Amino acid sequence: MKICVLVKQVPGSEAQFSVSPDGSWIQETGLPFEMNESDNYALEEALQIREQMGDSEVVIVSLGPDRCQKVIREALAKGADRAIHIKEDSPYETDPYSIATALANTIKDEKFELVLSGLQSDDLGFGQTGVILGEILGMTTATLVVETEIQDGKIKVKRELESGWFQWQTMDLPASLAIQSGLNQPRYPSLKGIMGAKKKEIKESSFAEMCDIDGLQAFNGLSVQRAEKQTEMIEGTVDQVVNKLVDVFKNEIRIN
Amino acid sequence: MPDIHFSNIEKIILTLSTLACLGSFVYEVWRRIRIVLRGQGSLPFDKIGARIWRVINEVLFHKKVMGQRFWPGLMHGLVFWGFLVFGLITIDHFATGFGAPLFSKSFHHFYSYFGIPFAMLALIGIVSLVYRRFITQPVHLGKLSPTSGLVAVFIVVLMVTYIIGEMDISPLTWKINWWLHSAMILAFLWLIPRSKHLHLVLAPINIFFRPFTQPEHTLVEIDLEASEEDLDNMLASMTQMTMNQVLDVFSCVECGRCTEVCPANRGGGVLDPKNHFILDLRQPLLESGSVDVLAQLNIEAGWECTTCQACTEVCPVGNHVEKSDEIRRSEVLIEGKVPQEYQKLFTNLQETGNTEGASNSPLAESLPMYSSDMEYVLWLGCFARYGLDPDFENSVRSFTKILDVANVSYGILENEHCSGDPPNRLGDKLTYSMLREYNTELLSEVKKVVTLCPHCAINLEREYAKYGNVNYTVEHHTQVIERLITEGKIKVEKGENGKVTFHDPCNLSRMLNELDAPRMAITSVTSDFMELEESGRQTLCCGAGGGLWWKKETQGRTHLVRAEQVVKSGADTVVTGCNFCYGMMKQGLGPLTPDGRSEISVKDIADIVAENMVSNK
Repeated sequence: MKICVLVKQVPGSEAQFSVSPDGSWIQETGLPFEMNESDNYALEEALQIREQMGDSEVVIVSLGPDRCQKVIREALAKGADRAIHIKEDSPYETDPYSIATALANTIKDEKFELVLSGLQSDDLGFGQTGVILGEILGMTTATLVVETEIQDGKIKVKRELESGWFQWQTMDLPASLAIQSGLNQPRYPSLKGIMGAKKKEIKESSFAEMCDIDGLQAFNGLSVQRAEKQTEMIEGTVDQVVNKLVDVFKNEIRIN
Repeated sequence: MPDIHFSNIEKIILTLSTLACLGSFVYEVWRRIRIVLRGQGSLPFDKIGARIWRVINEVLFHKKVMGQRFWPGLMHGLVFWGFLVFGLITIDHFATGFGAPLFSKSFHHFYSYFGIPFAMLALIGIVSLVYRRFITQPVHLGKLSPTSGLVAVFIVVLMVTYIIGEMDISPLTWKINWWLHSAMILAFLWLIPRSKHLHLVLAPINIFFRPFTQPEHTLVEIDLEASEEDLDNMLASMTQMTMNQVLDVFSCVECGRCTEVCPANRGGGVLDPKNHFILDLRQPLLESGSVDVLAQLNIEAGWECTTCQACTEVCPVGNHVEKSDEIRRSEVLIEGKVPQEYQKLFTNLQETGNTEGASNSPLAESLPMYSSDMEYVLWLGCFARYGLDPDFENSVRSFTKILDVANVSYGILENEHCSGDPPNRLGDKLTYSMLREYNTELLSEVKKVVTLCPHCAINLEREYAKYGNVNYTVEHHTQVIERLITEGKIKVEKGENGKVTFHDPCNLSRMLNELDAPRMAITSVTSDFMELEESGRQTLCCGAGGGLWWKKETQGRTHLVRAEQVVKSGADTVVTGCNFCYGMMKQGLGPLTPDGRSEISVKDIADIVAENMVSNK
């Protein structure tokens, strides 16, 4: 089985962010980056499916600047077979449709039977890329996947719904699944894996080459929410204070 | 003793049986020694004087045997010292059988004045030990051991037949008695190498060879540019035992002291050092004859260990018990099986050089930067730097206040990375080597380092030195504080601090062997000082060592056992000298403090000293 895993590099969750001077994106200098959390689970799921099925291939596809090489190597060290890096030479890409289009153009000739992606990226969090990609390539799609099982040329998935409800769905292949974090125990790259990853192929292309459409949504700017504390002392008789409080609750804080 | 003649048939029987039992003894011992010699590395012969002194202290004087369990240890001592006296008697006994006694009649009589009292004492010893093992049955001795019963019978019969032999009896009775005594000795000879009683032979040797520092594990030197073959050889060597480790396994007397003191075990964990770190290896070694058996160790147990070295410290036969390093490094480097929280920790360290993945430290920004004209680099460590317990910042400030008052110049390094203690103890030797190389470079021009974190202190100096030259010295801040008090650079007075106790951090006591400096500092500022039940090198781990601070869910109560002891001690203040202990104590003491009692305050040595500085008032 040929499996594609979409892996994104995102800023570390404990990092302190600041907005870049022109307000277009965050300041990246000095910022730690890591593999998007749910992508890590998607990768583990792919590796486990390969181990069960035998005779399979896991291919990493990542879109982003040169720094992405690090997570690509990490994925290869964990056991993926090869990788495709779509280099992003434009400013930070924020339109899921453009991203999915570039990914679709990149992988359409590979004939993947399964595309696994993380549920959403920890930076932008649109949660759309895997689904749009599946639609473009005519695959069945599912999100919030917490369990997978290949059965007679089909895939059975368990989806996490609200309030502790689950849905089981058997789908045709090829399929694009958006994987929820926590469904497995991702592995750590072994020393042999790290050494072996150096010899694995990373094919490169560019976003401009792969994306032949105009973006559907634009990203105008970024600002940090300002938190302010206002303290007002209410003075007067008990009645005055109570009336003032009621007024504040009703008209300023708007408690109904 | 009557005049006895031994017939030729008797001599032949005696010769054959002695040869058989002695041969079997030599064969079985040799079988084990051969496996020991297949181990990696070599047996150390450095510091011979100190090694011999250790053997005298721990074997002849029973220092560790009586240390943790005084009465059973003393009873064991009676049997042991009895055996020493019996050495000559036994040789004389067999020599008599061959018609050539060693002792003259008068000397035999003279020696019996030692022999009989010692035989009596050995009898008292062995009967007490039998009572303990078979009637009291302390849980740490493990399952009832039939060979222990057999050995007890042997010893009782040996002593009784010796005493009878010294009495005025008929020649026939004497001879029957003589043969019974001989049979017991020969049976003993047969049994020793096949059982834990091999410690009679191996314990002194093992104590002689024991490493001087702990923890002591083989180095894992990773060269990412190495050839595939070299890498395979390196990985293959990781599951091989060293000579010292194999000797440990055959020396084990199965007393269970290691398990009794183990914080993970006491906290309800599965880890049982006696079996998981030592005895589980005995059969694989004997059956395969190979030393490549470390992969058989229990993995779950390995992850529970706090690497506190209590097991190694307490072992009366000189074992370096702890094997979590061997278990974890295989899991991380060979298998890639690492608990998720530690994967996060390792990724943070690789990406940011600190355990938390943080990009800035408000504390570090508020402290002076090191420049080469300053005396000390103040090494903060991630715990203080990134506020793993936000209150610990006060302790750092207490220490800088002491340094300021004493006019000692210091500065921090802006780009300090984790010393590597967590990945080193958790088996990620690759991340460790990255951090080690980075910090070695960072400190290349530095002469003196002082730190509040004993984990950093151990790694920056002793652990780094195992891989290459270290040109700086590292002091723990308690050592600096003690010196400043002694030299009069800071003036302190005894204040009203209530009842104060000290929790010895494992890394400071067992690993750095620093017991006096913290006590001297505390007693110079308080008159009401009390020791905890387990203190000094016998301290009990707070539960955070070995990277377990970052363990998310703990099923056991390893992290609470020590805090419980502190609550029971009745102290008002517990002082410690390690940031991790500080954090653990604070987490544990709150919920454990009984209603109606005020919570015990947790302080670093620097806090209590700074609070009682005269210039402060």
